[in-house]
Amino acid sequence: MSFNIDTIIYTLIITTIVMVIYLYMELRKKLQKPEYDTKTLLKCPKCGYQIEKNYELGEFIGMVKGKCSKCNTPMKIIAIYVVEKRQNPEKLKNT
Amino acid sequence: METDWTTLITQLIWIIFFIMIFTGANQKIQMKLWGIDIRNKLSLINKYLLEDRNKIENILRNLGVETPSVLIRRATNFFTIDPVSIEPTDIIKRMDHLIRISDKSFRNLVSLYVKNIDKYEKSLVETSLSIYAAINQVYKIIRHYLLLAEKENNWILLMQLELQMPQILKIVETYHEALDPFTKGKPIGDSAGPLVVYRLIENGKIVSKTVVEETSITELWMDNRRIYVIKAEGPGSNVGRPGHVLADLVEKLNGNVDLIITIDAALKLEGEELGEIAEGVGAAIGDPGPEKIAIERAATKYNIPLRALIIKMDFKDAIYTMKKEIFEACERAYDYTRRLIRELTPPNSTIIVAGIGNTIGVPG
Repeated sequence: MSFNIDTIIYTLIITTIVMVIYLYMELRKKLQKPEYDTKTLLKCPKCGYQIEKNYELGEFIGMVKGKCSKCNTPMKIIAIYVVEKRQNPEKLKNT
Repeated sequence: METDWTTLITQLIWIIFFIMIFTGANQKIQMKLWGIDIRNKLSLINKYLLEDRNKIENILRNLGVETPSVLIRRATNFFTIDPVSIEPTDIIKRMDHLIRISDKSFRNLVSLYVKNIDKYEKSLVETSLSIYAAINQVYKIIRHYLLLAEKENNWILLMQLELQMPQILKIVETYHEALDPFTKGKPIGDSAGPLVVYRLIENGKIVSKTVVEETSITELWMDNRRIYVIKAEGPGSNVGRPGHVLADLVEKLNGNVDLIITIDAALKLEGEELGEIAEGVGAAIGDPGPEKIAIERAATKYNIPLRALIIKMDFKDAIYTMKKEIFEACERAYDYTRRLIRELTPPNSTIIVAGIGNTIGVPG
């Protein structure tokens, strides 16, 4: 079995291109790490209205913070959690 | 001419191939490549260590510690020796004793340097130092095996290390990211158990509250039943001693308890959904042994039904800031707990519900 020098060169070029594409895809896969935003969920103990806002340092579950925009009652933090950054911050419905 | 070059290259490749096979040079090249890869990953871990160290040093300086590096060095090198296991007699007692001393000594060590701060802030500092110590330990162990493998030309050891590195790196990254909630006091995935029982405290009619060994016992009335809620005292980073406190409470009530429920976060299997809830029998608690056995012994002594509720998550979710899916699972678990209580006990029963896990960010 004999090979032409051109065949060897073409094989090497194609192999290099495939390797580069593979490495690029692997690198992209590694870079796709999810990022998170910390949110605070406040609830009005009187009317049940809930609102999600960005977390502020020092907040904890059970803390009384802000007033309800519907009935002006002091609101309580019922949850602190993270959501993926690509998700749109949602305003929860009145429950 | 072209054919000559091709033959020469082919011959050369074959000669190199055979030389490498017979001399083991291919393995040496592979060892070198593995070594380079492990070193790269090790330097990444070192980068995380430096970042975390700077973060902790800044926190300590803000709390008035003049020489944070001394505290970090002492806390990082702090260790606990496991009890003798080839003689199992009273091993739980010995293990419990060592855990207590270890916790107390570590807290005392931190107190020596960090003075005049409240319990909440102190607990955050302690846990941050523990996380840093864990990453540092992993770094030192990997470095040890890498150097040992290179020194003794042990390619099997190097291969094992190389194959395990992705998993080890994932664990290190998890710890590194976990430093954020522990320095800021945000609830983590493991706080699921305390959060569920905190909902019971919020919605029940509270009769009394006591704190024993950094663990709170809240007596309340709900659904026409007397419920004792046990959880670590929050909102600091604290796991309390729920097993011992529960056992003491059962003794205090002379065993007149109709049901014990433990609620905890549990590691999910790959493919299982995050935040899935499952119920079962036994003590849902992931301690090394003393707390779990205390619950089992108390329930067995008085023949009390012991039920468990778990919220499934993976290791990363358990020590990182609580995800929204876990919070929603906690809300479902709260309803589930109330349904279990109503299904398994008649009105006027006495029930103990223990929320197991780190209560960071969750009061009560």
